[in-house]
Amino acid sequence: MLPTRVGTQRICLIILNQPLNKDYLHILWRKALLRACADGAANHLYSSTAGDRDSFLPDYISGDFDSITAEVKAFYGDKGCKLIETADQDLTDFTKCLVIMVGEIQRRQLQVDAIVTLGGLAGRFDQTMASVETLHHALSMTPLPLLILQGSSLVHLLRPGSHRLEVNTGLEGSWCSLIPVGGACQTTTTGLKWNLSNQVLQFGKLVSTSNTYEPVGPGHPRKPVTVTTDQPLIWSMGICEDGQ
Amino acid sequence: MEEELTPLDCLLPSALLRACADGAANHLYSSTAGDRDSFLPDYISGDFDSITAEVKAFYGDKGCKLIETADQDLTDFTKCLVIMVGEIQRRQLQVDAIVTLGGLAGRFDQTMASVETLHHALSMTPLPLLILQGSSLVHLLRPGSHRLEVNTGLEGSWCSLIPVGGACQTTTTGLKWNLSNQVLQFGKLVSTSNTYEPVGPGHPRKPVTVTTDQPLIWSMGICEDGQ
Repeated sequence: MLPTRVGTQRICLIILNQPLNKDYLHILWRKALLRACADGAANHLYSSTAGDRDSFLPDYISGDFDSITAEVKAFYGDKGCKLIETADQDLTDFTKCLVIMVGEIQRRQLQVDAIVTLGGLAGRFDQTMASVETLHHALSMTPLPLLILQGSSLVHLLRPGSHRLEVNTGLEGSWCSLIPVGGACQTTTTGLKWNLSNQVLQFGKLVSTSNTYEPVGPGHPRKPVTVTTDQPLIWSMGICEDGQ
Repeated sequence: MEEELTPLDCLLPSALLRACADGAANHLYSSTAGDRDSFLPDYISGDFDSITAEVKAFYGDKGCKLIETADQDLTDFTKCLVIMVGEIQRRQLQVDAIVTLGGLAGRFDQTMASVETLHHALSMTPLPLLILQGSSLVHLLRPGSHRLEVNTGLEGSWCSLIPVGGACQTTTTGLKWNLSNQVLQFGKLVSTSNTYEPVGPGHPRKPVTVTTDQPLIWSMGICEDGQ
């Protein structure tokens, strides 16, 4: 199903060290105002863009450089991409890349609607959880929404307060979820098939997975999803896969 | 009193009961082509919206129990576990752990649903529940003290303590970066990409001990071939 709207968001793009979905890469790259790779992500970018590498030169590559190959590092360095070595500390490559991105957005005074991250949700379980931790840190680093996409999943951390999520791009998959990763969240929703009415989401008690959108009549657009929460709460949704 | 566990003991040979949750039977069927009779599960449970008719008929004809658990608020995993716990009790089996293959990859919400099942399991059975997929193992530690033996030779290099569900006051030994009565909590401190305390060459690793006041996820790497 083809998207029915033109995207209006201005985004910045961070690529993490995971196999790259070429479709996402091309769409996100084209519209991004700033593009960065976290360490070994540059290896994936390099191999995914063979034949057209000059069209996919990141503004910077950051990290401790223990994953990027010498060949890839030299290639992007020679092309003028900034190589920013961030020494091994308590922060992950993702968090450090985000710190630089936020600083760069401010320095250049860019008008940005969201920071989008490709990768970070597959592979080692602890690294997936580290990505979720970066989402939590981001709340105090920038007011901009931070989204993580990989495979057919999108993950986003909702701040305490009320949110309205528009889910009518035509790119939404069928599932969605609210996941209280950091602790109990008093939650109220509308627009879901199974809504919450001032209920507590908490691991061991109630976690909303495999939820979906409120059914609407044929030809009618989906209602927006609204979520009110008193603590940071993960919103995760499916991305439509080709042909669906 | 300390709970003792060797997480990767389960990868050293043998299981007493074997079950598939719904579409898992499809994967079992294709993975065991040529030797399917050696891999017949005791039962297949679920709402049967994923298992193919061919696979369902194959295992049904071979005498595997097909237990349809109608669509409710519980996932296929949780429902399969309920049956497993009941079967262990019914047969009065002496079991040390329930091991789950799969559940950590694919849709993010389904990975989180697997973690939720680990939480529910705490009140369903005293047995440790372990989830393995790819090179990751995930296990939920109950409040209290734990000793984890990590010398099977199958351990990968990384390990982690992840406070999914809320803050955990935590103390550890045996890790490279130990915690000393510190609070693990998303947004404050999460222990990922940790590793084991270094020991001299030829010396076995020390056990990892963890004391926590709330359920706390232990996740570790499984050695990959040749490493």
